[in-house]
Amino acid sequence: MALMPKRVKYRKQQRGRMRGNACRCNYVAFGEYGLQALEGSWITGKQIEAGRVAATHFLHREGKVYIRIFPNHSYSAKPLETRMGKGKAEIEGWVARVKPGTVMFEIGGVDEHVARLALSRVAHKMPIHCRLITRRHAIG
Amino acid sequence: MSEMMSLQVEVREKAGSRQAARLRENGKVPAVVYGHKKESIAIALNIHEFVEALHHSHRLFTAELPGGKQTLLLKALQYDYLGKDVIHVDFIRVDLTERVTVKVPLELRGTAKGAAHGGILDELLASLEIECPVVEIPKSIPVIVRELEVGDSITAGQISLPSNCVLKTDPKALVIICHEVMEIKTTEEVAAEQPVAPEVITERAPKEGEEGGEESKEGKESKGGKESKGSKESKESK
Repeated sequence: MALMPKRVKYRKQQRGRMRGNACRCNYVAFGEYGLQALEGSWITGKQIEAGRVAATHFLHREGKVYIRIFPNHSYSAKPLETRMGKGKAEIEGWVARVKPGTVMFEIGGVDEHVARLALSRVAHKMPIHCRLITRRHAIG
Repeated sequence: MSEMMSLQVEVREKAGSRQAARLRENGKVPAVVYGHKKESIAIALNIHEFVEALHHSHRLFTAELPGGKQTLLLKALQYDYLGKDVIHVDFIRVDLTERVTVKVPLELRGTAKGAAHGGILDELLASLEIECPVVEIPKSIPVIVRELEVGDSITAGQISLPSNCVLKTDPKALVIICHEVMEIKTTEEVAAEQPVAPEVITERAPKEGEEGGEESKEGKESKGGKESKGSKESKESK
């Protein structure tokens, strides 16, 4: 099974609507380099896991990979050849709702060149356009 | 030490988001100057000039303002949602003799010994908060990590600061730690840790709740059914 919450208040949720840009989680907080979403999308637990595997395999036990998103939103889907109605269908999977600007993955402890290559491999596993970003200036 | 740079600024007469958006379209960035118990002044800067200064780690600026030539310290920056463009800048008035509290980035120097023995360096804090004279704000604080073995760490208090600087961050705060690499989990291992289905907090207890629930459901359905029949009959009679 892919990533999913351990406890939830209600199993089934309404799909909702994603509007606007990321106001939080939009900067590199833990590592030195991050992979930022340039579009809004649902990212499934399987896609997140695929990204993690791609990064860790490339890094060969060097550096540290941080996953900043978690699939906490369930979605349901009706089986094939089923008539409409008869209530909400069973849960099909869990997704993270990602808005444009969200930093999804971070890498620390490696050079920029290595981080860039690792995150480009992660980006290939994502269903959206992404870009690499670095830490912001320390001010204040 | 951060060098002082003169900025070409113009005082903003009109405030508001529309005016700010127009400024940004024209290659300028809105900013504000405050401090020293004087009135705040809304200004606009050339974005290209300012970003260049930012890349060269400038923090201290001088500008011709209505009160005369003033020394300004960069206080805060606001970025757009992608973190690409600076959309607003805060400056604070300072005297050259004043002491200020600022965040200064850390610069790791050397390769840790532990890295050769299968360890990795984890940078937990990227900057330190220090108090220092305005004219002596360091661009970065060097941290020598050559002697770090696996399991060693450096706290904020262990980092040597430039003279005249006082540490404001908690001295016990961990800054850098050299630890062994965690074992890479395979997808199967990650899957094994995950529950088959999440526990539902609001789910009813199966014993009494089920019976009561079914009865109540049936009751509702029967009521609903009667009502619907009644409504059909009433329609027919009409």
